[in-house]
Amino acid sequence: MSRITCDQIRTAALDPATRAGDWARQPDAAAHVRRCVSCQDWLEAFTAGERAWASVPGDAFAAAVIARTAGVEAVLRDLPLLADMDPGPGFTDRVLRATSQKPAPEGWRARAAGAWRALVRRPRFAWEAAYVATVCWVLVFGNPVGAMEWSATNLGATARERLGPPARELRADLETWRGRLAPDAAERGASAGHQTEAEPAVVQVWEAAVQWLRTTTSTVLDAIARTWDAVAAWVDAPADAPRRSTEPPGEAARSPQ
Amino acid sequence: MDASDLSTLADRCRAGDALAWEAFVRQMQGRLFALAYSYAGDREDARDLSQEIFVRLYEARGQWPAGDEFLPWLFKVARNRSVDFLRRRSVRRPASTADEAEVAHLPDLSPGAETRAIEEDRRSLLRAALRGLSAINREIVVLRDVHGLSIQQVASILGIPLGTVKSRASRARVELTERVLALSRGRGEA
Repeated sequence: MSRITCDQIRTAALDPATRAGDWARQPDAAAHVRRCVSCQDWLEAFTAGERAWASVPGDAFAAAVIARTAGVEAVLRDLPLLADMDPGPGFTDRVLRATSQKPAPEGWRARAAGAWRALVRRPRFAWEAAYVATVCWVLVFGNPVGAMEWSATNLGATARERLGPPARELRADLETWRGRLAPDAAERGASAGHQTEAEPAVVQVWEAAVQWLRTTTSTVLDAIARTWDAVAAWVDAPADAPRRSTEPPGEAARSPQ
Repeated sequence: MDASDLSTLADRCRAGDALAWEAFVRQMQGRLFALAYSYAGDREDARDLSQEIFVRLYEARGQWPAGDEFLPWLFKVARNRSVDFLRRRSVRRPASTADEAEVAHLPDLSPGAETRAIEEDRRSLLRAALRGLSAINREIVVLRDVHGLSIQQVASILGIPLGTVKSRASRARVELTERVLALSRGRGEA
């Protein structure tokens, strides 16, 4: 019974440090591959469909493994191509901007400040801050929705309670001032039904201005009306003369649709 | 750039030479961007990640190790930043950018375009095969076979035993080769 395993076959075939011919000529390895369909399929993948071991001779097997190992070496040889990539235009400037102006932090304060700046610069910092603020709000003030419900229910009562006394005081003050400013007018207005004589000069001037405005407006409107009538009369005068029609000539100019 | 040049440049950076830092960025940006890309799998994320790595290196430039220890330390810093970046990115949706394959299919009419296209096709094939590996196997192949670090350095960077790296490296190569072949067949190549 062979002690060679599939993993050993594959590892040995792929290891560029070992010479494939050395182990491929070993009877155990050849015997294993001749029996193992999995290894045959795996090794077949390296030879682009060429069934090198159909005849099972040891040399053919060795040649097939060598050929396949060369294929693996080609894959491994290509890997260093991935060691260098162009990061794109502007990358160097971006890095230098992010570093050259910044002195190396010393001490835990500077490191903490740097860590804080790095934390704040992240795009999702705003979401995190909003979340923390909401949690703090709920912890300090309770449920904000409950506060809104309470406010809606008690707004009227609170307003009456808070604003009632000042409003009553204000009204009393107004009444007092009104009594002091025009004590006679109130009495005469109440007895004669009008307050013309008691009106101050400002009100009289205002009413005179309004009267003048009304008179002037009616005069201007009358003038406009007379002018319009004159224009209409002038337009109606040649009404007997034939006029050119601006309408299209009936059905001939219209689409059947 | 050989190891001695890099070591000299690192010494000057450690001493606070601004010009040396700029030269270091220009020299190493391709390698660090490639390493970042192998973790991020996306160009924009890889740009952000490699910038983070450079910023971290700059902040720690006073503690850069000297001599042969510098390059493994550099890769260790880059690897740790990349792992942090992937952890942060796992809680948000990956950025949607143009796929590299799509960009590669844009016509290039400049001289030598055919050679570059063939090379880019091989790179694209290898990257696709690498993406199919498990995370630890991919890291081993990238550090060992792409960036040419020794088995001991890879074990030190990843923090796993030497024997584990050896056995995993062999299996990772097997797996990678199988994937390359499968992808080649899928693309109609022999």
